[in-house]
Amino acid sequence: MQRNRRAEGGRIDRSRPLRFTFNGKPYEGYQGDNLASALLANGVRVTARSFKYHRPRGIVGHGPEEPSTLVELDGEDASGNRPATTVPLCDGLSARSVNCWPSPGFDLGGVNQLFSGLLPVGFYYKTFKWPGWHLFEPAIRKAAGLAAAPASPPASGHFEARHAHADVLVAGAGPAGLQAALKAGRAGKRVFLADEGTEAGGSLLNRALTIDGKPAMDWVSGTVAELDALENVTRLQNATVWAYREHNLVMVNECDPDRDGILERSWRVRAGEVVIATGTTERSMVFGNNDRPGVMLASSVQAYLNRWGVVPGQRVVLFTNNNSAYAVAADLAAAGVSVSAILDSRRTVAPEALDLVAGLTVHLATVVSEVRGHKGVRAVKAAPATGGAGTWIECDLLAHSGGWNPNVHLWSQSRGALRFDDDLAAFVPDQPVQACRAVGAAAGDLSLDRIIEGGADLAYGIEPLWRVDVPGQRGMAFLDIQNDVTVSDVHLALREGYSNVEHVKRYTTAGMGIDQGKTGNINIIGTVAMQQGVPLQDVGTTTFRSPYTPVSFGAIGGLREETVLFPYRHTPVTRWNKDNGAVMYEAGARWQRPGYFPKPGEGLQEAVNRECRAVREGVGVYDGSPLGTFELKGRDVPKFLDFIYANIMSSLHPGNGRYGLMLSDDGLILDDGVVLRLDAHRWLLSTSTGHADAVNQHMEKLLQTEFPDWQVMITTVTSQWNNATICGPRSRDVIRALGTDIDLSPEALPFMSFCDGTVAGFPARIVRVSFTGELSYEVNVAPRHMAAMWDKVMEAGAPFGILPVGSESSHVLRVEKGFLSLGHEVDGTVDAYDLGMGWAMSKKKADYTGKRSVMLRRASGRVRRELVGILPVDPDRQIPEGAPLTPGGRKEATEGLVTACVWSVVNNRWVGLALLENGHSRHGEIAHVRMKDDVIPITITKPVFHDPEGKLMRS
Amino acid sequence: MSYDVTTQRCGLAALFDLKGSRETIQNWAGDVLPPFPDGPNTRSEKNETELFHIGRDHWIVRSPLSQEDTLESRLNPADCPPDISIVRISDTLTFFRVTGRDTLDVMAVACPLDLHDSVFGPDAVTHTEAFGLKALVLRYADGFEIAVEQSFGDMIEDYLIRAIS
Repeated sequence: MQRNRRAEGGRIDRSRPLRFTFNGKPYEGYQGDNLASALLANGVRVTARSFKYHRPRGIVGHGPEEPSTLVELDGEDASGNRPATTVPLCDGLSARSVNCWPSPGFDLGGVNQLFSGLLPVGFYYKTFKWPGWHLFEPAIRKAAGLAAAPASPPASGHFEARHAHADVLVAGAGPAGLQAALKAGRAGKRVFLADEGTEAGGSLLNRALTIDGKPAMDWVSGTVAELDALENVTRLQNATVWAYREHNLVMVNECDPDRDGILERSWRVRAGEVVIATGTTERSMVFGNNDRPGVMLASSVQAYLNRWGVVPGQRVVLFTNNNSAYAVAADLAAAGVSVSAILDSRRTVAPEALDLVAGLTVHLATVVSEVRGHKGVRAVKAAPATGGAGTWIECDLLAHSGGWNPNVHLWSQSRGALRFDDDLAAFVPDQPVQACRAVGAAAGDLSLDRIIEGGADLAYGIEPLWRVDVPGQRGMAFLDIQNDVTVSDVHLALREGYSNVEHVKRYTTAGMGIDQGKTGNINIIGTVAMQQGVPLQDVGTTTFRSPYTPVSFGAIGGLREETVLFPYRHTPVTRWNKDNGAVMYEAGARWQRPGYFPKPGEGLQEAVNRECRAVREGVGVYDGSPLGTFELKGRDVPKFLDFIYANIMSSLHPGNGRYGLMLSDDGLILDDGVVLRLDAHRWLLSTSTGHADAVNQHMEKLLQTEFPDWQVMITTVTSQWNNATICGPRSRDVIRALGTDIDLSPEALPFMSFCDGTVAGFPARIVRVSFTGELSYEVNVAPRHMAAMWDKVMEAGAPFGILPVGSESSHVLRVEKGFLSLGHEVDGTVDAYDLGMGWAMSKKKADYTGKRSVMLRRASGRVRRELVGILPVDPDRQIPEGAPLTPGGRKEATEGLVTACVWSVVNNRWVGLALLENGHSRHGEIAHVRMKDDVIPITITKPVFHDPEGKLMRS
Repeated sequence: MSYDVTTQRCGLAALFDLKGSRETIQNWAGDVLPPFPDGPNTRSEKNETELFHIGRDHWIVRSPLSQEDTLESRLNPADCPPDISIVRISDTLTFFRVTGRDTLDVMAVACPLDLHDSVFGPDAVTHTEAFGLKALVLRYADGFEIAVEQSFGDMIEDYLIRAIS
């Protein structure tokens, strides 16, 4: 039984009833309702409990400004903290109030009201103090917050994020927005019109206004029809413009777009011009118990009456400081609702307004000082505005209007300036910063006749009243209903020294939350101004931040979920790796690489030991394709390479390569890699996998900013070359078995040289470099041949016991050799000398990147952490990477850290590397790793545990 | 309802990256290349060979893979003058063709660029983003092509399937 539903009227379809439940109770509404209108139609008054004090609350607004009734939706629509006014009603909808238990009608949390004196503003800051805060923190955390996030993702459908471009973006399809869109559309511009409502019209949907003597909605229908016929116009409803970024990038969130399967669509619109036609929001009056169920915004009462055919109360009192409430009273009276009185804080009222309510009782210079009733309004106290005894007026609904705020959120987000308009008693757009303009009510034109020719409306006529302040006033007077912030709270914050309005906001939480203070912010500013005795302009506004209304994380992320949450890259060998049991994970620069290849029943360590033994004693192969590779061409490449590497590269002869360190401006190691000289003017540069993009950026930056006249052309060829790196004492045998026209002898193809030819019938380049310390050949082929090449390597290597090698084994093998790894030994603090690689720092070159910084730093003589090898005194004792070294293992400042510790199959023990203060001069000493419950003694050694002279890799 | 779009992961094409002055490249390459495009971010075509102008003194030439060896021998990257750069990059890019009635919808999901035909005309080509990755985007009469670094090919295919369904 929808007892508050009118028999006719409104923009609902009474032929299409919808069933829904609220807090477990069944109700019925109609197509076109939102949850709030349906609840009001069913006479549900207590719809929520307040955030802090758990006071009973009802519905206050009719749109995104709703501060009071937040609901949690169940089932397929599961979502939390949705203002009831923004939830379209659908059949089977199940909604629950948040912040109460077991129901808003009877809430155990309501006991907080007895202790409200113990919950002053900022009580979190005052109570969360050492040492006892952790005792009550869990209870407070449990009590705080609203609805939980849904336990699972939507059962069906997905989110979409897309881009769009427009000559003109219009935010809002009220009268001003529709006019702007039509004008631009007729001019042939690409127009993007987004409106948060379910249908166009804005405030005209709620009011009984006329344009040229005809219902205003007739004009809306005609305009919409013309816009929809224009191919250059995109018109969206249920689409909120929620953010205004730099360079006219505007974010729009479209709910329930007209396409099956898409739950929400996020638009990123780049517009030539933005027209802000976002209308206005009515603001609250501030008086005692102004939060009781049945205290509603006057415009919302009008909206429920005219748009949804709902009469929220039977005996109504209106309280206002402007003319707009008179039209509400007239609509109510016309609908047969008893209007007990209009209380107007002003001394005089325009005759046109009084004419609208002829026959109704109007009390001028009168305010509501207090509301009586707990779970619903029973009476209001009408008091003279200047003070004096008041009288109680019985009623069940108080409709109040404190004036109107232009919705300047987007304007402010665009960094446009605001100014306080004394005539409107509101902040309005002032100077724009980006290509945008505000129109209509958002620009301060608060009556229809100022917006559209032929529009008929009352003049605004406001006299601001920031709060009711009469003697004998009782009850909490809320400035921010959502966050339970009262006038007293703001006064206390000011007394405690939070004098800036931004500080007041943070300390009291006023203006935060889901509604972002849409109905109350100006009253907070007014209260601060009154208390400080300054104009509102001097207090200013708090920063308007996006989102204007809540936006689902899913909509922002769009398609980015599950497998495409992060980028990922594969080499042609990935399929083979997976088919052969590799454990795959990311290993830098988004490459998915095999970590290790366990046999059935084998763990990581056993697999790694097996792979390492193959490389040290036989032969292994790994996929080195992800290494960054760049081809450099031009007359100035030699001097460019000499500038970006610490050692000399220009002296290389074609056919040879050289290892080098690349430093950053501050002398720290940016990357290490190998440079090959292909011919007189062509060079190939390889980088570590993880730093390929950074090195590319580094080189391009230098060429574009420092050396624009140098002739160096860089082409990224990382994916033009894949390589199978065959390593181990039998690697030469495997390549010979593959078949090659390249002479593999040490004399013809020595260490750090390369040769082009064929391998296994494929065009290939063999490069003799080694990251394992063994005889090693990089067999480079085009990716189109890589998978076939890999198969042939495994086939040819089978007689030699070849094994695939993963990243874990590569790590072990390089630690045994003391080869550095970016992210381990190169940790952003060390230079080449610290790593024992001073030989890589040219003494001959006049200058190169980072040289001066290294020299300056080392000239300071400060103690440096230097690379050393470590051997746990107990050879079976593993040390966690990153473990600190302290003098004697005592609780003192660290003198270093363990950068790597691996089980070495060739040494049959744990070995490791560390950065240790003055480490180079401490070989043979015992140092100590300090663990949480233990101290591990270690012997300091040279950082090499296998083939210290490097004979094997040069063999 | 899914988008009315067909996507195709294209096979390899012969691709060469050209850098340097237009005159020097023209002199070196002779008639193997199509006429150079009139403006930046446009392409030209001759006998199935296309030339993309994608940056200052920067072009990509594309031909069917069957012509790769011919192009290689005619362009002769190893011996070209030192003040130009010619590098074979056939394997570095994976191309996807996106066609169908709702192509612009799917491209709007993928690409932040304004692809309206008044801005991104029938011969347009440019480097931009696709699904957050660096990409080359080309417009054709029946749709678009997206090219990404080859190693991201699987991921883009994954994305396109999600965008369409």
